[in-house]
Amino acid sequence: MEVIKNFPDSEIVGNIRSGERMDEIIKALYRMHFDSLCWHIMNNSGSREDAEDIFQEVVVSFIDLVQKDKFRGESSVKTFLFSLNRNLWLNELKRKGRALAREEKFEKGQERTEADFGHQLADREGKLAVLNVVERLGETCKKILLLFYYENLPMKDIVSATDFENEQVVRNKKYKCLKQLEQMLDANPILKQTLKNLLHG
Amino acid sequence: MDNFTHNDEELLVQYLDGVLDEHTKAEVEKKLNSDTEFRNAYESLLLTKEAVKQYGLKEKVAGIHKGMMKEMQQAPIRHISSARRAVRYTISVAAALIVLIGSFMLYNFYSLSAEKVFNSGFQSYDLSTARGNEEKESVIAKAYRSKRFDDVVKLYEAGADSSKEAMFLTGMSALELKENSKAISNFKMLIAANQQNNEKLYNDDAEYYLSLSYIRNGDYDFALGLLHKIKDDSNHRYNKKVTAKLLRQIKMLKWR
Repeated sequence: MEVIKNFPDSEIVGNIRSGERMDEIIKALYRMHFDSLCWHIMNNSGSREDAEDIFQEVVVSFIDLVQKDKFRGESSVKTFLFSLNRNLWLNELKRKGRALAREEKFEKGQERTEADFGHQLADREGKLAVLNVVERLGETCKKILLLFYYENLPMKDIVSATDFENEQVVRNKKYKCLKQLEQMLDANPILKQTLKNLLHG
Repeated sequence: MDNFTHNDEELLVQYLDGVLDEHTKAEVEKKLNSDTEFRNAYESLLLTKEAVKQYGLKEKVAGIHKGMMKEMQQAPIRHISSARRAVRYTISVAAALIVLIGSFMLYNFYSLSAEKVFNSGFQSYDLSTARGNEEKESVIAKAYRSKRFDDVVKLYEAGADSSKEAMFLTGMSALELKENSKAISNFKMLIAANQQNNEKLYNDDAEYYLSLSYIRNGDYDFALGLLHKIKDDSNHRYNKKVTAKLLRQIKMLKWR
């Protein structure tokens, strides 16, 4: 199969917004930008593993921001990813308590190239906690909720993808799962705030 | 949440999922605008949906990440040491200089012309500085001094004066008039006459200006032969005028 390495920015952003060809686009982001962003982290006190973790978060944050129309295209995708990578890495360095004076200076010398998305990135731990809560949900609940709310599949397709008898049973199960997750999140008001930041910016 | 019923909860989930008919949807929206408790309940559902979407996105990227890392590891990222960076920088600067110098040389090569080389070596012959021009100045010398080059040529061709001075000044006038062949013919005639009589009158001048005439006429080999001869003769009046640059330029003209 032919591997397309370079996509124009407009195609990347357009596909992310419409949710089409997502796998292809994510792979293209890796092929086009991983090396340079990885190099940046490895030359700023990071390891290869750090670079891989951060890049994964960069891609997640980028897709999320594009889908919420917070990437306005004032800078190129490359520049935007670089900013995300830098901010996520600096936050991580601070978190690890080994932010060096050099990085502090580096941080001050940089200007933001797009919208101020700092609060979304800074709350990395809050986001991880939210994901952990979802992770704790039972496998069946996770599957139904993901198929419906993330993959946007219609009920009849979810019936085929699960062992449930019919759409009504799935609908009831989905309702219960959603309410269960809501209660789990309600137990921690800080998580609600993190989600508010993610949802409304 | 005393007033909040199970019915309300189900209604809000259906609104969230976008499955309500237009009428019920409008009712829900009306209540969302007026009832804070109802609105907060909906906000809570939105946040729950957001949590699912965040998890889904993270899972999707994580799934692709593994495969991509396998692909990437075939071309691992290397740390570039500062020494290596300095070498790269030096090579870049050197390459830029080579390109710059090369471009400059190419520009010189292609912008060079016979006329340019001729002009760089040519200086009008000033009769007042020449020897023996005081009392009995010939008609041709007078015409040349007053820059009537056409008249000089006409007078010489009419046989008004056939002296070596007239021969040389006619050659110079032809050169001023850009009549290269005529200039070449006159200078050659003068040099031959000097050889015959074993004299040197105007000989150095004739040789130098003959070489310039050759350049402008495109006879570069003849010009080079003559200029090398002048350069090898330290007593030649124009010895210092024949520079390495002039010889190099003529060779460049020959190559083009």
